[in-house]
Amino acid sequence: MVSGVPLNTPVDVNNEIWGGNMNRFSIGGAALCGLVGLLSAAASAQEVKQETKSASGQTMVSPVTQQQLNTADKSSTNFLLTNGNYAQTRFYPAKQIDRNNVKKLHVAWIFQTDVKESLETSPIVVDGVMYVTTSFSHVYALDAKTGVQLWHYNHKMGPITTYCCGPNNRGVQILGDLVYVATLDSKLVALNAKTGDVVWKTDIADPEAGYSETMAPTVIKDKVLIGTNGGEYGIRGFVRAYDAKTGKLVWTFNTVPENSVGVWATKDATGRDMHRNIQAEKDQLAKTGDPYQKLGGGVWQNPAVDLATNRIYFVVGNPSPDLDGSIRPGDNLYTDSLVSLDLDTGKYACHFQYIAHDVWDLDAVSPPVLVDVKGKDGKTIPGVIHAGKTGHVYVHDRRDCSLIRFSEAMVPQENMWTLPTKEGARMLPGANGGVEWSPIATDPGQSLAYAINLHQPMNYFVENSPYPNGKLWLGGAFKVIPSETQAGNITAVNYNTGKIKWQVKTPEPMIGGILATAGGLVFTGEGNGKFAAYDSSNGKELWSFRAGAGVNAPPSSYMVDGKQYIVVGAGGNTQVDFHRGNNIIAFSLD
Amino acid sequence: MVGRSKGAFVVAVGFGIGLSLCGSFPAVAQSIEDKTQVCAGCHGQDGKPIDKTIPVIWGQQAGYLYIQLRDFKRNDRKNEVMQPIVASMERQDMMDIAEYFSKKPWPDLDQPRASKEVADRALSANHSVGCTGCHLDHFQGDGTVPRLAGQSMEYLEKTTTDFRTRARGNNPGMSDLMIATSPDDLRALSQYLSGL
Repeated sequence: MVSGVPLNTPVDVNNEIWGGNMNRFSIGGAALCGLVGLLSAAASAQEVKQETKSASGQTMVSPVTQQQLNTADKSSTNFLLTNGNYAQTRFYPAKQIDRNNVKKLHVAWIFQTDVKESLETSPIVVDGVMYVTTSFSHVYALDAKTGVQLWHYNHKMGPITTYCCGPNNRGVQILGDLVYVATLDSKLVALNAKTGDVVWKTDIADPEAGYSETMAPTVIKDKVLIGTNGGEYGIRGFVRAYDAKTGKLVWTFNTVPENSVGVWATKDATGRDMHRNIQAEKDQLAKTGDPYQKLGGGVWQNPAVDLATNRIYFVVGNPSPDLDGSIRPGDNLYTDSLVSLDLDTGKYACHFQYIAHDVWDLDAVSPPVLVDVKGKDGKTIPGVIHAGKTGHVYVHDRRDCSLIRFSEAMVPQENMWTLPTKEGARMLPGANGGVEWSPIATDPGQSLAYAINLHQPMNYFVENSPYPNGKLWLGGAFKVIPSETQAGNITAVNYNTGKIKWQVKTPEPMIGGILATAGGLVFTGEGNGKFAAYDSSNGKELWSFRAGAGVNAPPSSYMVDGKQYIVVGAGGNTQVDFHRGNNIIAFSLD
Repeated sequence: MVGRSKGAFVVAVGFGIGLSLCGSFPAVAQSIEDKTQVCAGCHGQDGKPIDKTIPVIWGQQAGYLYIQLRDFKRNDRKNEVMQPIVASMERQDMMDIAEYFSKKPWPDLDQPRASKEVADRALSANHSVGCTGCHLDHFQGDGTVPRLAGQSMEYLEKTTTDFRTRARGNNPGMSDLMIATSPDDLRALSQYLSGL
């Protein structure tokens, strides 16, 4: 198996499509050995799924500097990083739209993409140019004032894609004059920010083995950081750094070390017993050895970057197979963990595992946030927080990843750590959480973290099967219980006390994202199409809009010509099956 | 099944000739039309299979078709008819064949729309186990996940049953999901999907 082996073949723009060079290659090849069948097939594949870009325009955007990215948290005109800034606070400093005037917010423009499918993009805005992505890895550059399309990159997807939870893409990153996007067929692509032309393209890992990309990359200095999809397919997960200028691989951190068994922890981070049969696991280990090679451990979301210490923090997804722990003895490090690495070398710095030997898929997926927090002794220290599928917000010491506290549960919990059975065992939360991949927002001035949650009663079924060669490998099934009501909520948690400050219940489970602003607001959307603004101190609803498709993406904000906008994708969601659409909608006052 | 064996024979001869001319790539002397001639014998000259338990492949997702050919050859998926046919295919042949059929139009098998009662039951089962989470919201599939919409009902019933008993063993994840779904629900799903 090629799992974990990088297929690093940077391709420069001259080898790309648009006729000319492909034909030369074809003729030469055919002359060699009558390889006509082989190459005519390749050429016809090009013709059908040709990469295209809109000829209509260029973006007049200046190269983005590293200094701009470093100070993104202070910019009230641009939205430069997937979660606002390297700390990932999703706290936007502009205050033109505030608690008093937000009731006058209205649609400024709508852009309708060519792709009516699950929309999870975080819009990036630079100098009045907006970059958004859609399912199937399309990238659009839009005029952020009018919504007019400037260019469209239509990625030529390979025929083999293997991914979980929808053909999503969560956005681009931009540094210099390059826009970076990761694709469903496990490639990293650098586009010319002005024109959308491909500058370089690198294969990340083998889609046939279950690798895919749905996340936005994180760009910092000379590196592009990217994780991988695939925890449902028996991959060996990683976080990689690629050279931002050339696409060459710089370092790989395997999220599953060769010694993955850990300390045989019997309790989870909150101190509850997980009913592990340690002896049975040790017997299995003696028989089959360390399961690290197919153990999963995808990384779904952007790492946070601590510029002061040159370290990154990310969370690692579930072990493979999700529900059947019998064939993967041990703690299954570093699945379901917060992990910190040195940015330059990719070397391990610290970790904290939330759930050892997870058999519920209650993994760590919402991206961690760097904020100052009160330590155990009440002193303020650099912290890192993460909102889990378990329904808790976890608060850590950034130095050593140790846990300081965890919040009250944001969703109902029942029969926690009941083991899955053949007939099905009911447990809350359901396997989507709690907090799924949705990034949280924070307001450091209020010490509040804002999370959107799912409440989906489910039965957990376990089945045993061997590694299936890159196919779906859940080790059972999660079944939503049709007779029980589902719901969602927006919860504000004080991360210094662990107490819930306020909570707004929603009629449906929530997935997407949330933005907090200095205007004292939080913005978030629901699967039924509602997009709303709430008072960030008490959860009072101050404004809403009905978008007609699920608003299941994180909102962004920006300013052009002195006017502040809020922008969000309304395209529904595959995983929770919310009504699909293709809209990017921007709102402003007057 | 005279047509099928004749087709298989033609293909075998074609591969043989290719082999002697070019050495390492037996299939290359053939056009894609030659390579896929054998398929029509069962899967239909016009894309409508000759038997209801044989699946539509015209218009199917290319990644999925490739994976099935690959799995037949690797013995991960067992089938007395398919396995001899794929035995001499190389990876590129499989990719070419998959690409070829994916570009064909999906045939209308003239299967009836499910009743509201059956549709409701099917959609409830989908809501429970999450079919559209992979097969997407119109059951059209993508990449290595197959289109289900408009597939032959008998083939869907056979397939869900074969997954459930693990007689079809090349996707244990699918097997787990079928085991977690009642046979009545699966029957409703097959009726509903075939009528789309």
